[in-house]
Amino acid sequence: MTDRTDPSAMPATPAPRVFDEDPVRPTLGQRISSKKVAPWLFMAPVIAFGLIFFILPIFYAAFISLTRWNSLTPPKFVGLANYKYLLTIDPRFWDTFWNTAYFAAGSLAIGIPIAMILAYAFTRAWGQAFWRSIYWLPMITNVVAVAYIWKFLLDDSFGLINQALGFLGLPGPGWLTNPDIAMLSTILVFVWMQLGHNMLLFSAGLASIDDSYYEAARLDGANETQVFLRITVPLLKPTILFVLITNFITGLSYFTLMLVLTQGGPLGKTTVTALYMYDMAFADLRMGRASAAAYILFFFILIVTIIQLRIFRRGGVDAH
Amino acid sequence: MALRNKKVSTVALGVLGAGLLATPALAQDSKTITIATHYNQDQMAPLLECFDAYEAQNPGIKIEFQQASYGDFLPTILTARIGGTSPDIYNIYSIWAPQLVASGALATPPAEVQEFISANYSEGAVDAARLDGTIWGIPTELSVYQLLYNKKLLADAGYDAPPKTWAELAEIAAAVTEKNAQGNITTGGYVYGPSVANAVHPFYSQMYAEGTAPFNEDLTATNFTSPAAIKILERQGRLFADGSTALSSTVEDFPAGRAGMAIMANWNKQGLKEAFGDNFEDTVGVAPIPHDEGDGGTMLYSFYWAVDSTSDVTDESWALLNWLNTAQDGADLSCTGHMLDELGALSGNTADLSAMDTSDAFTTPFVEAIVSGTAKSQPNIWQASENDRILRGYIEQVWAGQMSAEDALAAADAEITAILAEQ
Repeated sequence: MTDRTDPSAMPATPAPRVFDEDPVRPTLGQRISSKKVAPWLFMAPVIAFGLIFFILPIFYAAFISLTRWNSLTPPKFVGLANYKYLLTIDPRFWDTFWNTAYFAAGSLAIGIPIAMILAYAFTRAWGQAFWRSIYWLPMITNVVAVAYIWKFLLDDSFGLINQALGFLGLPGPGWLTNPDIAMLSTILVFVWMQLGHNMLLFSAGLASIDDSYYEAARLDGANETQVFLRITVPLLKPTILFVLITNFITGLSYFTLMLVLTQGGPLGKTTVTALYMYDMAFADLRMGRASAAAYILFFFILIVTIIQLRIFRRGGVDAH
Repeated sequence: MALRNKKVSTVALGVLGAGLLATPALAQDSKTITIATHYNQDQMAPLLECFDAYEAQNPGIKIEFQQASYGDFLPTILTARIGGTSPDIYNIYSIWAPQLVASGALATPPAEVQEFISANYSEGAVDAARLDGTIWGIPTELSVYQLLYNKKLLADAGYDAPPKTWAELAEIAAAVTEKNAQGNITTGGYVYGPSVANAVHPFYSQMYAEGTAPFNEDLTATNFTSPAAIKILERQGRLFADGSTALSSTVEDFPAGRAGMAIMANWNKQGLKEAFGDNFEDTVGVAPIPHDEGDGGTMLYSFYWAVDSTSDVTDESWALLNWLNTAQDGADLSCTGHMLDELGALSGNTADLSAMDTSDAFTTPFVEAIVSGTAKSQPNIWQASENDRILRGYIEQVWAGQMSAEDALAAADAEITAILAEQ
């Protein structure tokens, strides 16, 4: 191997300098703009943001969940005691867990069919953009305003809904005060809030279905119901599954509406796990226990999402 | 042009340099005291004027005011402490003290401040600020519970005086209650409310009225399983069972003239005056909490000024608090007393309280309860917010007829006693 820095080792007749000359060292600007460095530089703010606000809190919460910490004094390590308390001793945790599952499943069962049918109807209606805007309005309305409006509408004695039912000679239920139906009322308000968002997703899915499928089906004599069930629904499966997954995750971790609309009552029937966690952390100063509850909820969401993704792969994207 | 730019640069550098040199000197001379309260800018107006006056009298002191809503106040304090930006002075709710004291967040007041409090504040107010024998701050606003009743609704139902016993209350509540065709209450005979305090504070007040404290003396156990407590909750449940109240009928209906009676605190006065206007005195009546046994009584809760233990202006903060809570220049009221008076609130400071105009029919029963000592301070128990929420949950079970009072209070007692044992 020739030492190119040793002059004595230089050949008598210099070879063409193009190949053996010291490569020109790239300048800082060239290095930064190189394909190796530039993408990382562009992504650096997002990576830093993610590390600071997502990754670090996740690991910190895992640590805190193993401690007793009131945020005023140093955390005290307690091992799995917080998990043990929540899963085996706490008389309320499992109630809030089932309330959460009820809310998430209920909002899917009611919200998705309505959104899909309305989106399908509006693809055939005049003024699609107008209707989409109208149904999107709740999404851009502050949840506090939404809660107050619905509180007035659902009031037992003076609410517009019970007044209307009374006018028809029907009984007026305690929409937000009857423990048996308070969660159902909350789900209905949430469905109303989410309807525009889900409709928009379904509309996008419907727009991607080629008209030739519909033409072929109608030529074969299919009626509107058959077209919807045999053509639209199967071809909309990827969108349906996407909406299912995102809505389910949202439903499992949601609590803002309950915080404002019912404060978790009556009798704790609308206290979901996320709301329970919020009280644990910021009213009771039990940061360790709240973090453990967050991790239990996180693992539940993870398992459900993995199951849904498997279904998504088999019946959704792969099938089309 | 270039010369001019150079001149400008030279001047700018000079100014900057002078500023940098002057900054440490100014920092040494001036001390900033930060005060955090749940009162908003408008409510704080009299105190803000006092801050200006104090700054004028003490050129080395600068006072900054921070506001956080009541619901966010404790998390705000905690976040500030974690971030190392704690205010120097807080106006805290007395039941937050056990956790704040246990974690060393509050500075111990100097002996002279403790003596000042003992000498100038009512017994209930001092008790609210006391923990383990130490008084942790200077009491400010007192909130006392009494029975509020709508004179007109009671008169329409044929009653010209408020109830003295719970049996009378149940009878009047049944007579006042009105329902619509759907069977929903349009006028509640007696009402509770949706918040934790709307259930727990009346329950504690009723216990004091019956002569039984909610907790034992060293605050390590409850008295929820006492016959008095069980009887109180049974009677509450019966009001629901009789249809004289419902979860949908709340204290918010009282200002609307759609509630006959409720145990409420004096701070509602301003809201009720605004709601009833000129009819306020003819409509709203205040009476002692009905009771069958004991000498009667009620509960009060208090806020107080406390100083953060990490403050680097502790002495200056106590000096400022002493000034704010002592009448200046021959005034009748201290600065804090003036602010509370403007709010229609009651002061724990006996001089301020006697200087306030409390002679109206609404305020007098509340003041009498404070002065006579029949209003006992809310116990400063460990994890009070959590315990109150647990108790509210069990009280609701009885209201809904899903648990007996005895079972509900036994369950609440077991859970809360376990939490009290953590301290």
